[in-house]
Amino acid sequence: MKNSQRLTASFRDPSGFVFRHNGTLYRQINTTYRENYQTLMKSGLYDDLTRAQLLIPHEEVAVEPAEPSIAYKVIRPEPLQFISYPYERCFSQLKDTALATLSIQKRALKHGMSLKDCSAYNIQFHRGRPVFIDTLSFEIYREGEPWAAYRQFCQHFLSPLALIAHRDVRLNQLLRVYIDGIPLDLTSRLLPTRTKLNFALLSHIHLHAASQKHYADKTVDKSKIARRMSRTSFLGLINSLESGVRGLHWKPIVTEWGDYYQAMNSYTPKALEHKQELVDQCLGLIQPDSVWDLGANVGLFSRFASTRGIPTLAFDIDPVAVERNYRACKAEQTTSLLPLLLDLTNPSPSLGWHYKERMSLLERGPADAILALALIHHLAISNNVPLDWLAKFFYQLGSWLVVEFVPKCDGQVKHLLAFREDIFPDYTLAGFERTFNNHFTIHQKTQIQESERVLYLMKRRE
Amino acid sequence: MNLVHLPASIAAILSSISTLLQTNEAYLDPGSGSYLLQLLLAGLLGSLFVVKASWGKIKGFFQHLFGRGEETPPDEE
Repeated sequence: MKNSQRLTASFRDPSGFVFRHNGTLYRQINTTYRENYQTLMKSGLYDDLTRAQLLIPHEEVAVEPAEPSIAYKVIRPEPLQFISYPYERCFSQLKDTALATLSIQKRALKHGMSLKDCSAYNIQFHRGRPVFIDTLSFEIYREGEPWAAYRQFCQHFLSPLALIAHRDVRLNQLLRVYIDGIPLDLTSRLLPTRTKLNFALLSHIHLHAASQKHYADKTVDKSKIARRMSRTSFLGLINSLESGVRGLHWKPIVTEWGDYYQAMNSYTPKALEHKQELVDQCLGLIQPDSVWDLGANVGLFSRFASTRGIPTLAFDIDPVAVERNYRACKAEQTTSLLPLLLDLTNPSPSLGWHYKERMSLLERGPADAILALALIHHLAISNNVPLDWLAKFFYQLGSWLVVEFVPKCDGQVKHLLAFREDIFPDYTLAGFERTFNNHFTIHQKTQIQESERVLYLMKRRE
Repeated sequence: MNLVHLPASIAAILSSISTLLQTNEAYLDPGSGSYLLQLLLAGLLGSLFVVKASWGKIKGFFQHLFGRGEETPPDEE
């Protein structure tokens, strides 16, 4: 069909694929998946999962398929606000997506189906909850067969969770290197020996890795394997994985940024209050459709957008801040705010086959408005990014920019420059305005009370 | 069965068989190590699952055996 563009993230599964037509996202279901799709819809599984908000709802539409010769149906899934990736998720987000996947698998088994894959990329956060987005991942359950997605579940979910819980939170970044989940032999080597005393980790990580190694160079004739896996054993496997995941915990330690507003003393109470008023005022003025808060910490300012019902992403480099923010979002039952882990000095790149399986941050934008509060000095001074490059980066990210300039006389910048030479002659208020003025129109400029910091509202020059 | 309809019936059966054969497209390689480990652990995992699912009954049985049955509420399971 003309004007249809097949999305490159879904090419492995022959059951169907996602395509975009006139700006709307559709999923083509191929004829080979017909029986499975009919079972999903008629067995009650689809209704069960959508009612529980575990599967993205869809409607069947009369849109011409992108590849008619192999098409059975076209469906239009409910649109998502943003696609996030496992390496952008904090511990509790990874854990919640793992438990949601297992809950889906248990419900599927009750309706005579099973998940044929278990990719962490198939679970997205939608209105504050983890939701499964691949409608074509269900297949008719065949009793006796082991779980085809077992290895993938262990690599995508159990491995990063175990590594964070038992070793270091930063190891979740291995998910960025290994697009099909962290190899089990690597996880097994990195985990402390004491994890061999944990039944779930012993069986699903250590023994699993050993079994993979043992059979790696052996050709196994599947048709000659007499042993079968009963339904009870299958349920036992899912149950064991669930207990293993539930048993993993991570207690956020206090990091440099984990308690920023209390610990850093960057603002007097009056200054903080004034800054909050200004940010809220800017949001009221521009009424954006979407907000990305960069360097959001625990999301204090993100909430000025999300409480207005604006879909908001709160990015931060610190896993503790993101974890705290996510836990608070859950407690508040916030549906418009999604905290995510992101290092702006090395943001999520395009990854996978032909660089097109996973999108870079820029490819997932732009947002309507960007908040860059107490951030510029970290990028310009700690990371030596020229102001012009910063302006160009923000220009690509969003239409509106609420940005705070932190001058050299500020305690935080003094701290950054304390042990290094000041090689930033252009880092002045005038230099900042001159540079940003090349790419943005300054709509508002206000000095924050009891502070040397200045808050700007800018609009991208078209 | 009316013989006139026989070819159509055979075609329908063949079509169903063909559909059944193409029902599941296991595009993901489960990995021989992962596949066989599941079969190896199947008995143990199944037994643990049954024990866990029946834990209330087992507990009730032993409590009853040692004369503490009356302390167990009937709907504890």
